Amino acid sequence: MIRHIMREWRFLLGQNNLVILLCLCCALSSFAIYSGHQEITAQHFTIERLQLAQQQDQEDILAKYKTPGSLAYYQFHLTYQTPSNLSFAALGERDLYPWKHRIRMLALEGQIYESDVANPELAYIGKFDFSFLISVLAPLFVILMLHDIVANERSNGRYELLVVTASGSIVLWGYKTLVRFLMLSLSMLVPFYVGAALNDVPLHDVFYVSILVLAYLAFWAVLTLWFGRHSIFAPRIAATLIGFWVAVTCVIPITGNVLIEKNIEVPKGSEILLLQRETVNQAWDIPAETSLTEFIKTHPEYEAYAEMSEGFHWKWYYAFQQLGDEAVAHLAFDYRNAIQTKFDLGNYIAMFSPPVLMQRQLSRMAQTDAISALRYEQSIRDFHQALRLYYYPYLFELHSFDESALAEMPQYQDFARL
Amino acid sequence: MKQNLKSIQPVIIWEIARDEWRYWFRSKLAVVALLIGLACTVLTVVVSVGDAVELEHQRGHAQQQSEQTFVNQPDRHPHRMVHYGHYVFKTPPPLGMVDPGVDSHTGNAIFLEGHRQNSATFADQKQSSGTTILGALTPAFVLQVLAPLLLVIMGYGVVSRERETQTLSILAAQGLGYGNLILGKISALLLVAMLMLLPLAIAGVPVFLHGEPLLTLSMFLFSYLLYLSIWILIIVSVSLWAKSNSISFSTLAFTWLVLCILMPRVATNAAGVMVPAAGKLEKDFAVVAELRQLGDGHNAKDEAFAQLKTELLNKHNVNRVEDLPLNFRGLVALKSEAEMTDILNRYAEDRMREELQQSFFARQFGWLSPQVALRTLSMLTAGTSLETHHRFLRETENLRFTFVQKLNQAHTNKLNYIDDVNRNKSQEAGQIARISAKNWNVIEGFMFRPSPSKERALKAMTPLAQLLLWFGLFCIFLRNLQRHYS
Amino acid sequence: MKHNAPQSSISIDAQQLVVNLNNKTILNNLSFQVASGEVYALLGGNGAGKSTALKTLLGFHKPVSGQAVIGGLPVSSSFSAIRKKIAYLPENASLYPHLNAFENIEYFLSLAAVHKTHAEIKMSLQQVNLQQDAWKQPLSKFSKGMRQKTAIALALLRDSPILLLDEPTSGLDPVAIDEFNLLIMSLAKQGAAILMVTHDVYGACQVAQRIGLLRDGRLVGEFIADGEDQIDTEQVHKAFTAGVID
Repeated sequence: MIRHIMREWRFLLGQNNLVILLCLCCALSSFAIYSGHQEITAQHFTIERLQLAQQQDQEDILAKYKTPGSLAYYQFHLTYQTPSNLSFAALGERDLYPWKHRIRMLALEGQIYESDVANPELAYIGKFDFSFLISVLAPLFVILMLHDIVANERSNGRYELLVVTASGSIVLWGYKTLVRFLMLSLSMLVPFYVGAALNDVPLHDVFYVSILVLAYLAFWAVLTLWFGRHSIFAPRIAATLIGFWVAVTCVIPITGNVLIEKNIEVPKGSEILLLQRETVNQAWDIPAETSLTEFIKTHPEYEAYAEMSEGFHWKWYYAFQQLGDEAVAHLAFDYRNAIQTKFDLGNYIAMFSPPVLMQRQLSRMAQTDAISALRYEQSIRDFHQALRLYYYPYLFELHSFDESALAEMPQYQDFARL
Repeated sequence: MKQNLKSIQPVIIWEIARDEWRYWFRSKLAVVALLIGLACTVLTVVVSVGDAVELEHQRGHAQQQSEQTFVNQPDRHPHRMVHYGHYVFKTPPPLGMVDPGVDSHTGNAIFLEGHRQNSATFADQKQSSGTTILGALTPAFVLQVLAPLLLVIMGYGVVSRERETQTLSILAAQGLGYGNLILGKISALLLVAMLMLLPLAIAGVPVFLHGEPLLTLSMFLFSYLLYLSIWILIIVSVSLWAKSNSISFSTLAFTWLVLCILMPRVATNAAGVMVPAAGKLEKDFAVVAELRQLGDGHNAKDEAFAQLKTELLNKHNVNRVEDLPLNFRGLVALKSEAEMTDILNRYAEDRMREELQQSFFARQFGWLSPQVALRTLSMLTAGTSLETHHRFLRETENLRFTFVQKLNQAHTNKLNYIDDVNRNKSQEAGQIARISAKNWNVIEGFMFRPSPSKERALKAMTPLAQLLLWFGLFCIFLRNLQRHYS
Repeated sequence: MKHNAPQSSISIDAQQLVVNLNNKTILNNLSFQVASGEVYALLGGNGAGKSTALKTLLGFHKPVSGQAVIGGLPVSSSFSAIRKKIAYLPENASLYPHLNAFENIEYFLSLAAVHKTHAEIKMSLQQVNLQQDAWKQPLSKFSKGMRQKTAIALALLRDSPILLLDEPTSGLDPVAIDEFNLLIMSLAKQGAAILMVTHDVYGACQVAQRIGLLRDGRLVGEFIADGEDQIDTEQVHKAFTAGVID
């Protein structure tokens, strides 16, 4: 077996076009890994800088504002989603969904849709990362490399001689295919291994990604060989396969996406903001008691403290902020639900589109997809809720607010999840 | 070449082109490819134009409603209206129907309020099922990425096929001139390209009716034709150079992959690495730090406004702010909003400049890939580019500042200082500290218009030059490939 | 005019082969036998079915009826076992153009799982008279004759008891043809069964002990050499061109 592999390996080295293709794959993979690593490192740095700036900001705020009401009003809290170890290989939708937010105690619905996305033109074109290389480009490389294994011999008149000479078809085609396939896979996986080592990816993840990649490429290899087994005319095989590739990478996903778009009702994001704004602003025009009574319905423990003696009190202010959130809670829920539903339906589309399936698998593993973004959003919501629960007793003046109370303030880190 | 020009005979060119078409009609692969290609363009044009018209209607409606709601607000404290804010929507330009450009990633609505510059929120893309990894259902995508592939599948063998069946030598021996042969093959492929472009040209009618000037419209169509022509030249050159069909096809498929799929993304990554830009959030800290020095506009007692206070008291020759003919709190709001906006604008401009630098860097890859060049050209002429989005941000910021300051002006002039200060004493006092709803008439109908066509055309000169260079290079290249014709 | 080969050592046995390709009958009840130590030439014009006959024997076409037996094993069922016994020389011996003669032979032998030393490969290249300075040149620089010689060297190295040759001398110059013929005859003398298909009447008569004349997929005549004498070229030529055999 080693002898056969060595023979085909030497044979491969003699074919310039294949060697060039392999080198290109390796270069592309290295570039994808390098820029992915660079991007993730930058994200880590950004988070570090933000934390530092947050610290500074915190100190300034704490020095300046002493009452719980104004402190809650002026103090921004930094939330962020740390990129996972594997995210260098699948940057996913982190350029689309925000992974850092600064929020404060005001109505959350007015803040959480703020996006801090990167350059829209670059986001529109899309990034080139390892998952894109594997799921979109690699099939084309497999096709280019394997489609003419048989057809080329036929059209050059070597087929019969080879078949008659070879001791078996595995020896003849099997090893040639195997060597090409392995070299192609390795040319793309080796840079990934380097990246994985740099990013401390756990071994079982590396293993799982390798299995995924090999299985996916094997699928395309089998498809290519199956298409090419009888045909003499290599361009026809390649054209058909590339046609299939276009169908599964472009036509099916895009059509599926349009179908989903047309059939899933999504509350308009702007409606959430408008309604929230209406509710919050209306509170200024109606008697404060109305808002507070409404608030007490969900927070009966503050009933005894809901009296308003002057025209403005922070407890009233935050109560109607909360009411603003509650007014749009169902819309916001539907909005998130729609994202989830669309994502789930996307899974069905992925069944018919191996590249999409692959891409989603990788970004799921790297936790850079919409689901992770939703989880991050949920962690912000949880944190915001905890902030409210922390502040309300002080705002409603059940307890007095002092240094010891400050130490109890919830920190986002405790809510962060991937 | 002069001799070649003289020997060019339209009849022969026509014959060669006709023969190529006959071959295509008899080849299942070519017919299927052509049909699929046509179906794709027709479908995307129909769906996109339909969607765009509907969306335009929706947004126009939402815009009107937003303005109506603002104006219909009851009597209030003017500062409440500053925070109440106002929604504006981005209406896509007519050509945005066929090339939505960055619009799906920028969000199409922006909320304008006091003391803040919001980014456009709710980008369509965020609401997608996350399955579109290669592009969207737009005519622009089909023509920029898929049409070249179709041309490759149909045209890889225009010359190499004749070489493999050895009819090329027969043609050469019969004295068929190189120029005639090449022009014939090019014409055959050009017809395919025109067929692909036909739905786009037809879509030009509704685009024109929606007010797109002829200059940009024709430039838009021309750039796509030029782009596909470049591909035709590439295809004919490779087919002429390649020893066999197989080599020709593999080379062309590979070229397509590099130029259309790879280069654009490599450009993005390179721009991200070479021109790193700080995120908005990171800037926010810097902004906040600067703003804190300005003082809080809500708090007229803030020490930052002490100087303003002294100046005013001196000017009006009074001792107490209560005696000023103006509402001092309104004045503070005016001043702080203006100063704050200065700072915000400075940072916003910084950010936009950074984004532009990144994009310019990425666009330089147009010298390396005609697809990148065309994409830029298409977005710029259509008015769906980053620049247009920046203009939208600037215009909306202008609108924001204007209406906020008008409200602050009303605050200064129409609300009594004493009433204002006492507004929180009791609910009745709060009722007194209000001004008439008539003052809400400060927002003019906002309509985001595409830049003048001349301006867009001028901006698109660099990518046009890139495309022309590609075209010219391959013309020269093809001329020098004559030795392969034998 | 029916001549039977010696029954004892039949290596190639075509038994009433009927082969259809694209709904056309190409081989129509074709039967012939080649014994070891014998050179048999299947002679026919364009479209007579020569190549199809050869490819059927190699297992590339499935006969509708009848069967091919090689070395005592039916081709249809013992495909891989038979291949080990056969060396095949295609008409346009295209080997790999980016490899040199030596590398090509090494590669093909490795596929065949036949182990040969460098010395043995050198010997066979000398045997086919491929000039030594060409051994290390890529085959893309070879003339047709040189490529043919390389392929012959490969066939010899397989040490196969059965040789199937498709138009082996086409494209060779007269000197090379003579050398080749001598080589073939000496192999037959060593006991190989050799089947060659050709349209070259003169060449066939020179080397073959028996000639089968193929027309429209059926055997229309067989000629047999008389002892040490060659088959009469005149007679075969006449039969070949006349189209009718009495």
